[in-house]
Amino acid sequence: MSEQILGLVEFTFLDWFWVVVFVVVMIVCGVIFYRLGKRSESEFFLAGRGLPWWLPATSVYASHTATDTPMWIGGVLYKFGMRGIWFPFFSAWCAVSAFISTRIFRRSLAMSQAEWQSLRYSGLGAELLRGWLAGWQTFMNMFILAWVSAAMGKVGTYLFGWPHWIGLVVFTAICAIYVLSAGYWGVIMADFQQGIIAFTIITIVCCWGIYEAGGAKAIIDKLEVLGESWRLNPFHFDEEFPLAWFITLLIMSTFGGIGMGNFIDWYTEAQRIQSARSLRDASYSIWAGGLAGIFRNSFWAVAMLAFYVMFPNITDSRDYEMGWFRLAFEYMPIGMIGVVFAAVLAIHLSTISTSLNLGALYATHDLYHHYINPEASEKRLVQVGRINTVLLLLGCFILGLTMRKITEWLIFALWLQAAGIWIPSILQVIWWRFNSWAYLSAWVANLVMSWLVVWVLPAVGVMPELPDYQQFWLLAVLVAVVYVPIMFLTRPDDMDHLVKYYVMARPCGFWGPVRREAVKRGLIEMEM
Amino acid sequence: MSLFRKEWTPADADEWTIHDLVASVLSVVSYFLVAVGVAGALLLKVWGFVALAAGLVSIVLMFLIIDPKLKAMSRTFAEKQHEFLEHIDKTTRWEQSEGLYE
Repeated sequence: MSEQILGLVEFTFLDWFWVVVFVVVMIVCGVIFYRLGKRSESEFFLAGRGLPWWLPATSVYASHTATDTPMWIGGVLYKFGMRGIWFPFFSAWCAVSAFISTRIFRRSLAMSQAEWQSLRYSGLGAELLRGWLAGWQTFMNMFILAWVSAAMGKVGTYLFGWPHWIGLVVFTAICAIYVLSAGYWGVIMADFQQGIIAFTIITIVCCWGIYEAGGAKAIIDKLEVLGESWRLNPFHFDEEFPLAWFITLLIMSTFGGIGMGNFIDWYTEAQRIQSARSLRDASYSIWAGGLAGIFRNSFWAVAMLAFYVMFPNITDSRDYEMGWFRLAFEYMPIGMIGVVFAAVLAIHLSTISTSLNLGALYATHDLYHHYINPEASEKRLVQVGRINTVLLLLGCFILGLTMRKITEWLIFALWLQAAGIWIPSILQVIWWRFNSWAYLSAWVANLVMSWLVVWVLPAVGVMPELPDYQQFWLLAVLVAVVYVPIMFLTRPDDMDHLVKYYVMARPCGFWGPVRREAVKRGLIEMEM
Repeated sequence: MSLFRKEWTPADADEWTIHDLVASVLSVVSYFLVAVGVAGALLLKVWGFVALAAGLVSIVLMFLIIDPKLKAMSRTFAEKQHEFLEHIDKTTRWEQSEGLYE
């Protein structure tokens, strides 16, 4: 980061006052639900499956507006102009999922995606998948905690000139107080406030940035003078931003909504889906939370155009990805800096609390309860949930102190998660014949091949460094070469198990033989 | 079958119908139009306001088509949920799974 923008702001007493008030309110709000959270495992991790749609919806929005989000979205918007809004458009999977995979998952009643694997599949393959996903998600949430905390460390350095570790450790530790106390109840109630605060302040800062740049007309005029009018066009395609990439993104995001586990966000949403009080509430929570994110991105897009016309010559991505923060802290009027920082904290705490509780869910429900102590009492499970929360917190500090380049880590995680298992994650929802061994092999093949295609082979000169959309399709094909033969060489899942799953979850797609068996057994009515 | 059907039997609501497909398509369209529309409207572009208005229409249509079905489906499922939860508790305990190590 450039030396000149370290220690950007000086807080007055009033600014610190607002920050302290916000932090205290957050902690009290979470802790107040201590009694509800400790009642059972279901309460500690799903708030008893009784939430109206607007609570998980604000949580979906809040937990997906992390500290690093303005950095990476702001970065691509600065670099690519208005068309940069398509980079975060992968969240459009929520639009389809709301009426397809959300419904199927909510009906399955699985507490986690790992548990869903053992409802959908049977036998040893199902157990291996459940164990794998539980371990992977426990690690992945620690990883998310680390990179989001690292981003907060970067913000602390940028704003106050603090050593990196202070921003990384202090605010994440504060968040752990209410997550430990009330579990998911604390997460969801704090998220509700944090979501509203984050949404409001992001919108205000963006509008203020546009105002500081002279308003919409001035932005358009300045871009013309700079010869950069193409930045106003969301459909401006060229070599740097090809049409093929855009089409790939649309296919990936929309069809991905049919599947489960295609995107890293799915695992978080799965918890929100199960915490909703009905199928209808689950659908609307995912739909509305996703739409709020789309709305936010468009505000960021225009604010970053404003930032661009104010600072058109920044070439270092580490500087321009801080654009939104600079609009917030350099241009907002006196008296608002503390409020803006409180909003940044809201953004940070919501993601941290989500990952702390979600990682603990997988470690507790899918590892401890399922494999180690199936007879554990509800009290014991809540205790283990708290211990796992602390372990995740410690792991995140160690991991977070080792990572500095936010975007590289983010892309690493997204590719590892998304490319090769994108199609298998859809197939497991829509096709009865797709079995556990096929899905397991897809995961393993994806882990190996994403490393090879993205880093190893280009580094040793065996293949060129491909654009990311070409990597996506290449990985989809290479991984299919592994799982398709394995699927046909292994037996389908047990029909009794499939029938039970079908009757409960009612999946869409190609389930003819299972449906006929369910009708034959009188478990569902025959179609008229 | 009317796209704007208001009455659903429990059995009908449990089936996948054209309503789900149309709602999903309208949902994506509304996300797309809102993304473009909000940005365009903030830049005071006419196309932005048009896209935003079209997005809102799309949302209303989606709601009218899918909401009655979601309500019916939710009612039916809520009655079965307790029974299903007991079933899950029994069948997902790994040492009790049938045919686990076949």
